[in-house]
Amino acid sequence: MNHLTDEILNEYLDNELADRAPVEKHLATCADCAARLAALQALFAELDSLPEETLSHDIAAHFVPSPHLPATLPRSLRLAVTLQAALAVIAIIIAAPFVTEYVSPYLISLQMPSFTEILFQAESQWVAWLDALSQFQMPTLPEFPFVELSSLYIAIALGGASILWLVGNGLLLRKHIK
Amino acid sequence: MGRVVFLATFLPLELYYTVAMTVPTDRDLILRARRGDRDAFGELVTRYQTGVFNVCYRMTDERREAEDLTQETFLRVYSRLDMFDLEREFGPWVRRAAANLCLNHLESQKVTAQFNEERDAGESLQPESAIELRERSEQIRAALMSLPANYRAVVELRHYQELSYDEIANELNIPLSDVKSHLFRARKLLAEKLK
Repeated sequence: MNHLTDEILNEYLDNELADRAPVEKHLATCADCAARLAALQALFAELDSLPEETLSHDIAAHFVPSPHLPATLPRSLRLAVTLQAALAVIAIIIAAPFVTEYVSPYLISLQMPSFTEILFQAESQWVAWLDALSQFQMPTLPEFPFVELSSLYIAIALGGASILWLVGNGLLLRKHIK
Repeated sequence: MGRVVFLATFLPLELYYTVAMTVPTDRDLILRARRGDRDAFGELVTRYQTGVFNVCYRMTDERREAEDLTQETFLRVYSRLDMFDLEREFGPWVRRAAANLCLNHLESQKVTAQFNEERDAGESLQPESAIELRERSEQIRAALMSLPANYRAVVELRHYQELSYDEIANELNIPLSDVKSHLFRARKLLAEKLK
């Protein structure tokens, strides 16, 4: 019987053999080769048993590490988040009086006078603030020779900006949208 | 369409909090380090210094020397950070770099081109009745040190970094046949030393 060579046994244990079946077949019947394989496996186990050692000092100190490293976002994402936050605040300010008006009757029917009173007070203060705002005189804007700032143009501009914003976000997040 | 609008509207904010609250990935740190952020590179060093140190320690068996080589490894890695392929894992790349550096260091010293008989003469590798783990570890390290540096490098890359023969050949820039002969002879020598 031809025994397996050392090279084949090594390659077998290293998973480098394309065809393992003939080796396994031989090992099943040859005690000598099985013993040589076991000895090689024991050596592998010995090498694997070598414990990890620790450094006596922190090498990272040479590279000025900080203990609490904050994560960073790409600049484009930071900008998108800031814009979203600003738009959300504006939306809340605009919606607040309408929401209050809509919710108030329900709150009254729920017999929560104290809370309703608070809401009414908040609303009256809000209306007072809006009144004060309406008294504010806007400085006269310079007239553009070719552009008429009608409400239609402003609406179109706002719509366009919204679409750009959504498209921009969509591009930023294209990898996350499946 | 509704899903796209929903994601476009809310996901940036969610991502912001998710990213801000989580630990930066190696990829984040590498990108920041490439822009000159030394804190980011320091964090990478913190993560991988133990692994790299152990590569150097197995290759040299001198703690002080291994620590110096660990530092040298990271300095080299820092200067070559632009060459790193972000699609690959950073840890294995650094450990391979450490093995290569140690091999070059040892070969330049020409200390272990032949078997280190002086070292072996002072130590008996024959185990006694009950061997403590520490003693056995020292014996394994001594056996590794008795190998020529190029054999040791192949053992390091195969056993501790789990590279394939082809990967080792590529990493050490040697023929595949040399990888096999170095590895098989090294194992034979180690088996004899550790009997």
